[in-house]
Amino acid sequence: MELSICQLLFYILAALAILCAFAVVSFRNPVSSAMGMALCFALTAAILFGMGAQFLGIVQLIVYAGAILVLFLFVVMMLDIKDEERKTNGRCNAIAGAIVAGMLAGIIASIAIGLPGATDNPCPAKALCNSFGDLAIGQPATPATDSATPASTCSTCPAAVTPGAPLPGPETYGGPLPKIDPVASDNDTKLIGATLFSQYNIQFVILAFALLSGTVGAVALARKIRKD
Amino acid sequence: MIDIICNFWNDLMSNEIWFYLITTLAKLVLMFAVILAFVVLSVWIERRVAGWIQDRPGPNRAGIPLFLLQRFGSKEKQPLKNVLHFFGIPETSWIAKLCTWLRLDREIPTFGLMQPCLDGGKLFLKQELTPSYVRRAYFIAAPMLVLGPPLVSAAVIPFASGVDTIYGHISMCVANIGIGPLWIFAISGLSVYGLTLAGWSSNSKYPFLGGLRATAQLISYEVAMGLSVIPLLMMFGTLNMQNIVQFQADNGWTLLPFWGEGLTLERWILLVPMLISFIVFVTCVFAEANRTPFDMAECETDLVGGYHTEYSSMKFASFFMGEYAAMVIGSALVVTLFLGGWSIGFGADAWLASVSDWLAVLCQFIVFLIKLVAFIFFFVWVRWTLPRFRWDQVMRLGWLVFFEITVANIFLTAAIMYFTK
Repeated sequence: MELSICQLLFYILAALAILCAFAVVSFRNPVSSAMGMALCFALTAAILFGMGAQFLGIVQLIVYAGAILVLFLFVVMMLDIKDEERKTNGRCNAIAGAIVAGMLAGIIASIAIGLPGATDNPCPAKALCNSFGDLAIGQPATPATDSATPASTCSTCPAAVTPGAPLPGPETYGGPLPKIDPVASDNDTKLIGATLFSQYNIQFVILAFALLSGTVGAVALARKIRKD
Repeated sequence: MIDIICNFWNDLMSNEIWFYLITTLAKLVLMFAVILAFVVLSVWIERRVAGWIQDRPGPNRAGIPLFLLQRFGSKEKQPLKNVLHFFGIPETSWIAKLCTWLRLDREIPTFGLMQPCLDGGKLFLKQELTPSYVRRAYFIAAPMLVLGPPLVSAAVIPFASGVDTIYGHISMCVANIGIGPLWIFAISGLSVYGLTLAGWSSNSKYPFLGGLRATAQLISYEVAMGLSVIPLLMMFGTLNMQNIVQFQADNGWTLLPFWGEGLTLERWILLVPMLISFIVFVTCVFAEANRTPFDMAECETDLVGGYHTEYSSMKFASFFMGEYAAMVIGSALVVTLFLGGWSIGFGADAWLASVSDWLAVLCQFIVFLIKLVAFIFFFVWVRWTLPRFRWDQVMRLGWLVFFEITVANIFLTAAIMYFTK
């Protein structure tokens, strides 16, 4: 049977995530919108877990659902809900929003289709698994020597990396990646850490400074200026 | 017939997927039962220790009264007298007096352990009152969102090492995933939604303030909590909880490095940052569990009851169950990260495992529960010893003290690991 648990879970979670995303824009009550967004983030994290990218999934939960969205909710609750519910959106706003969202979806889709192995596999999650396997995220970089234990961290797609099949080496995507112990189940954390702090270190530092400047700016705006 | 069942079982367990499903389900049920039992037990511990600290008995009277025996057919009015007579003990001896002092002539003593069960029953039977001005959907969802996350986050806590059966290896941890502590931070961080929504949906002034305070406090202390475990993770080199405990079983607990590689100079110098991490982490666990001295969200003196002012009956009780479940999970996390989790220590784990896997697992489970109870006792002790902080003090402690200390601690650990290697 072609329809494996992997596909089934992916399609269910993806459909629910899209439904929640629609709920975000269609609810009149801002608090309901925020809660829909939280649910959407949680479902996205679940899809990431299914692909074996555990660290990415948990970061999605901690950072977006756990921190940023709570702050959203914090602000939204201060609003006058009745006033917000009475507001209607103009047609212009809806059209502009649809165009921007469509463009973004197009960009993401073109990247996803461009990933190696995306078109040969009927299951999107599996295809992504394979391409993540090439990028060596969530999967052992080299196929495990004893094929009895593939040591896949991917629970829904256990057979994502077929041992023996030659994969394009990770060096195709940039500098040398660290050696990974295929038995350890926290490969994905170590890999992301090692990649961020070695290969993409400069970009990482620049981003950190950008965020820091944002924080400093917010503090400068929020703090009272003394007149003495 | 038995052969057929045995063969069926054999076939079932030989299938990898069914083996995984059945063992996981068994572990899940065990973990769930342990957590819920500990929620009840920690209520009892709390009230008994509170009584002890304040020099009063606490709940010690809710036993099983003996008049129930008469109900169920026993015609004897004085079971104690009969028992004493049976053993030939005179009624004026010190044994009889001791038994009378323990109220054995009136009830079967449970040392007040029945009290939480009776409280639960009372809360079930109380009238449910939902004010007319609340936002119903969120008002009903909020207690679930508080109680659910702590129970889910227990999945990654290992309660014993693994067993090798003929069908495969069973790791005594519901989900043996490579992101252990992060999973607990993420899921218990989600319980903030419950508190916030409870405060907001009550549509009333004091609950709203309580909800806002809870949100601000939980987010602030999550930062320090996440940063304070980084030195530990640098030492362990893994995020997998089972591997973390195995490391401690082999090389000495984080705070007691007395065996294995724990006797090196590096580990003993590392005790300084580990101790700082321990203090910060435990304080953050207190803050995350919303307990005194950090119960700003529900402090009666400034907010009537905080976010649960408008709640009654079992919805009110589920907030408290959530709080106690968070306390149990927090204690389990501290025990796992700092006090060796299930490890018995001094190489006893390896020795027991060489005798029998199942014996080792049983002993480790018991040791884990003992450590858990000890830490829950500490939790309660702190609650009844320290007075409540002021709101601005809580925020200042989180952002101006703990944040800086934990960041400095990471660099200190890195320096120690670099120079002593």
